Amino acid sequence: LPMAFRDLNARRHIGLQQLSSLAGAGRALLGPMKSCKFIVDESTNQSTLICSAVRLIENLDLTSAAGQLLNETIQAQNKEFKTGMSTLLFLVGAWSNAVLECLQQNVPVSAIVSVMSEALNSCCEKVQCLQISIHDVNKEQCSSSVRPHAFKSRTCQIGCDILLNPQIFLDFQKEISASEEIVPINSCSRQDDDCNFNKHLVSPLVTFGSISPLVKPTGDKSASVIAGSGVITSSCNKKKLTHSRYFSTLEKSHFSSQQCGFQGYLSGQSAEPCECYGLGHLAMALSHGNQTSMKLLQSIVAYQQERAEWSGSSQFNIAEVVTCCLLGLPESYSCVCPGFVTLVSPEQATVIKYFEDKPLRILLMDGDLTEQYRHLGFNRACNVRTILEHPGLQEDKAGDLWLKNMLGILTSFEVNLVLVKGNVCENLLEGCIANSILVIGSVPRDVLCAFREVTGAQPVTYLTQLKASCLGSGAQVELWKASDGRAMDLGELVPVRVKVQGISLLTAVLTSTVASKMQLIEDQFWTFVYRLHHALNDGKVFLGGGAVELLCLSHIQMLGDQPLQPANNAMKDFHNPWVAASVSEYKPVVLQALARGWKQYLSVVMCNTAKAASELEACTSIEHHLQKAADCGSPSAYILKEFRRGDLFRGCSSPFADHTEVLKVYDNVTAKTEAWRRALDLVLLVLQTDAEIITGHKRNQLLNSHGSSEFMFL
Amino acid sequence: MARLEAKKPPLFISEPLTKDTVSQSLSLLSGILKSCYGPAGRLKQLHNGVGGYVCTTSQSSALLSCLSVSHPVLRVLMASVQNHISRFSDCGLFTALLCCNLIERFKSLNVASCTVIKISKHLLSLCMDYLKSEACACRVSVDFSSVETLLCLVRSVLTSKPACMLNKPEVDYLTTLILKAFMFTVPCRVETNTVLGKCVIVPVKGRKVMDSAVLPGLLIEAPEIQLAKPITARRTCSNMIKTALFCVSMSGDLCNPEEGAITVPQGISLEVSELNQLLNIGKQLVDDEVDLVVCQKVIHPSLKQYLQENHVMAVDRAGLSLMEPLSRMTGSNPIASIHSLSPSCYGSLKDVRIENFASKHFVHLIPNDTVVCSLILCNRNETAWDELKRACETAEHVLQLTIKEPLALLGGGCTETHLASYIRHKTCSLSTSSFKDMGCSRTQYQLVADGFCRSLESVACSLSHDGGEILTDVVYGHCWFVPSGFPSVSNWSDLVSKCGCGINGSAENLNWRLLQGQFGSPIIPGCPKDPPVKVADFLTLDCFAAKCSGLQVALETANLILDLTYVIEDQN
Repeated sequence: LPMAFRDLNARRHIGLQQLSSLAGAGRALLGPMKSCKFIVDESTNQSTLICSAVRLIENLDLTSAAGQLLNETIQAQNKEFKTGMSTLLFLVGAWSNAVLECLQQNVPVSAIVSVMSEALNSCCEKVQCLQISIHDVNKEQCSSSVRPHAFKSRTCQIGCDILLNPQIFLDFQKEISASEEIVPINSCSRQDDDCNFNKHLVSPLVTFGSISPLVKPTGDKSASVIAGSGVITSSCNKKKLTHSRYFSTLEKSHFSSQQCGFQGYLSGQSAEPCECYGLGHLAMALSHGNQTSMKLLQSIVAYQQERAEWSGSSQFNIAEVVTCCLLGLPESYSCVCPGFVTLVSPEQATVIKYFEDKPLRILLMDGDLTEQYRHLGFNRACNVRTILEHPGLQEDKAGDLWLKNMLGILTSFEVNLVLVKGNVCENLLEGCIANSILVIGSVPRDVLCAFREVTGAQPVTYLTQLKASCLGSGAQVELWKASDGRAMDLGELVPVRVKVQGISLLTAVLTSTVASKMQLIEDQFWTFVYRLHHALNDGKVFLGGGAVELLCLSHIQMLGDQPLQPANNAMKDFHNPWVAASVSEYKPVVLQALARGWKQYLSVVMCNTAKAASELEACTSIEHHLQKAADCGSPSAYILKEFRRGDLFRGCSSPFADHTEVLKVYDNVTAKTEAWRRALDLVLLVLQTDAEIITGHKRNQLLNSHGSSEFMFL
Repeated sequence: MARLEAKKPPLFISEPLTKDTVSQSLSLLSGILKSCYGPAGRLKQLHNGVGGYVCTTSQSSALLSCLSVSHPVLRVLMASVQNHISRFSDCGLFTALLCCNLIERFKSLNVASCTVIKISKHLLSLCMDYLKSEACACRVSVDFSSVETLLCLVRSVLTSKPACMLNKPEVDYLTTLILKAFMFTVPCRVETNTVLGKCVIVPVKGRKVMDSAVLPGLLIEAPEIQLAKPITARRTCSNMIKTALFCVSMSGDLCNPEEGAITVPQGISLEVSELNQLLNIGKQLVDDEVDLVVCQKVIHPSLKQYLQENHVMAVDRAGLSLMEPLSRMTGSNPIASIHSLSPSCYGSLKDVRIENFASKHFVHLIPNDTVVCSLILCNRNETAWDELKRACETAEHVLQLTIKEPLALLGGGCTETHLASYIRHKTCSLSTSSFKDMGCSRTQYQLVADGFCRSLESVACSLSHDGGEILTDVVYGHCWFVPSGFPSVSNWSDLVSKCGCGINGSAENLNWRLLQGQFGSPIIPGCPKDPPVKVADFLTLDCFAAKCSGLQVALETANLILDLTYVIEDQN
């Protein structure tokens, strides 16, 4: 096959241009205040609502090589951290543009590569001084929460739909009085009664748009029609969608009246000493204002911590958390339940009635439960003929025989409940219902593990393997009830809850009435879960709210002011004249390019969160801080001080600026620096690429394509 | 109905090298390879154009394996370079580039190709004699009692692959790690016929490079291990773990599905009988007090269950590539049948552990005598990981070649320019009788020798990609680089700091001259001298064996291609 070869024009690097245009679509997804986007497929007229970089990239048409690499990079960050993808995407765009401008100014590629990667390395080392151990975060948050006027502002933020759910309201009052934290997962100790536990820990409210009323249209309606890709991305501003209460995270108009009354009620309670509950503070500091997810997370943390106290297991284990999405319930019904909540058909749900409260014998299966299923690696023999030697009596069909055998096994072992990792044969399912056996398919592996641990059941692959020792006991099944005690009938599918005394597994039940929002809610939930997970893994967090990026900017300024020829010091260890030469000459230009990434990042975040009215205003504010930091002598000390005062980028233009107490915000350390590094690596990788080699294509196909003149053949 | 088509006559192409298409393709190929060369080389994206995996690389092994070329002349070239790569891993681009340069230079000489071939063979023998002699000033001997030179070798391999996306601390970390892994594979006791062990690369993609690690023994990925009972391998006798290693499938499927049909009466299940056979084996393993069963392929869940109930640990899906190191590690031959087991077929291990790395679960098998180790290799994304893997394999191979022949050549273009100035010096003093022996005139010889030297020098020049001047000095014959943007001045010593390999500084005036541009060398070069200090900490070094072979392969391939008179193409 012929091989085609395409030169990427060095000055206007096509790959970098592609990266920059793809990344431009993710601008509005940056920061705590994200604007959702509709992605419309022109050919099918189907649309998807997305609110994260991963989903954006997943839904775009990425046939170009640079697009593929971008996708790969975003997916890798997502797989590893579940957070930081929007940062990554944005910086890819910003740095691609900056590097393109360097190329315009004839900066050699090797100089761009070596200066940028060394400077980023240096920045990552520098910002270590803005790390704070998670222990200190808790202390700090505790002390800040008893500040007198912190309270008032928080009540302002609580615009909620408590009226939907009187029980939560009661709980909320109780909790507020127990501690005056905004998220009062309280001091109540775990009691054996699960119900009680639910009542206290498990009632987050609808997302509060804490500062969202201030969000202004950021003017990126024009954002990105990705040419030629057949997909239109358009950003929809919140403003435009406020007529639909489901798309708006603020819901201000609905609850304004309640809010007042509520506020009046709460203002009576004043500062009681705050009780620390370990990770709760940390969870809040990492939530970046997403209240629903934060409350769920705090419930999980409280439950797992209590378990950790008496079982000695780890403080926070994400493998013991699963989600169950219930479509059709208002978001206020989201909660965390011990055990496994999943959806089953109404026919299966009828079986539960027979179980009542008796402990069930449980069987775990790690494959499919069908006749055809064989374990992985089993090759079916295709050339076996079966001869019927005595064709007399009408025998059962083979399938019926299998069904009968399997049911026989299940009933003889008196199995009540079967959790299957894969699919379940429909006929067998029916047979089981008739025999009062509940079979649940598509159960994640982590769930099987949790049930194995607590019931002593040993998973089997085939029912023929079954022995009495493989079975577990003590499971209970009930219809899942919402926090107000009502059992929910969602039409086609019924939520049920499988639990065992002492099980470590928790299910986060996520509810929404809008189908297109479900995915978004689930993604956000996992992002927060992982943020806490990584914070605990790192043992430390970054000061958030732009502090780290600001320090990077000031550090780059300092690097640039250093006398030229730093290469000689840095290169002492390993001299590489082919790379190192000519670096010093272009250093200032390249450092500026690197700085531009963070500068744009900060200004876009400020615009998205309405802390600045325009990018110009944001830049002025950044410059102002940079100047002050430089004047102060020690930029890190200045930033730390401003952060503690809550003064960093607090928004000069907002009318609420005076009395909006900025909650301390923290970020993950590794996830953030890795996102930077991955973004820069991608840009530099594409920058250093000068040609594409297309393999396996027919020559004619390429000659007929629109860019045929660019191809050369060997 | 079959239709017969008349056979087309074969196509004869005479003097293929004179054809435009060939020289165009050749210069395109040489352009691609040239742009990839060295630590500042440009990368290539290899992909299928419809949105599949993108391979970003500048390594010859990846490039050549997916370049498909249409012309036989190019195919000859690529085949011999690929053959060199498969034997030495390193210096692939050098070989290919030198070969392209030689073809282009020799083709343009007005000398009969048979004469060119004779002369160039003579030049090659001059080079090889020099490189292999003690007097050679462009090689250093590798001292295995200290790690410095070895680290330089590994570091040079890693830094010459920019698509690995490593920064300096990462290069240092990986360099040490690769050397450590190599040290594991060297047996403690040296006997006759000592064989080096093996380092197996375990992929962990998506992690940062600094998470990479080396462990003695082997890691087998076991995703389902968390569902199994938490077991540790017991030790039945003498504190060793008695191990059975199977290379047949134990999944219970029929063994010969290829040909012929099997007829069975109804009511008899082949699956059940196969499973019974497996369970019999299981029983024998339990009776023989085996503690650990490792299978290359899949073990039937029922057999696994049976083994677990009897406290035998079972690990399956080890994969073909692990079988040879596994058998070496356990000291047993893999069992290839599930029908009979002889008591002598078992091996032993020191320890078995469960390790979690990233989100993966591994069974870690630890031998008594370590010559097998695992390099857990991490890099942030797939394309950079793949490139890093190739680089690590090359580095391991370079170390293996170096232990056989403890020499290294100066890198960074210095060996090429040094060799060129050595040849220039040598050919000046050649006696008339030697020309007679070769059947050529002195002029012809000078022309070919000049072409040869210029080819070598232009390989060195290919290291520079952002413009700038390449110099060589008259004293040591090393290669120096001046960044672009400076006016041509007479005093080069203000602009150069170190030579390409890093061994010489610019302290003394070395009488630099430009490598490219001028025709004919104005100075009659003296014999290039040894650099003042031979041991420096941070040198760029190349693998001796790989570079020598590269030089030979390039010249011999160029000669072969020059000698082509006809290409006969079968058109059917």
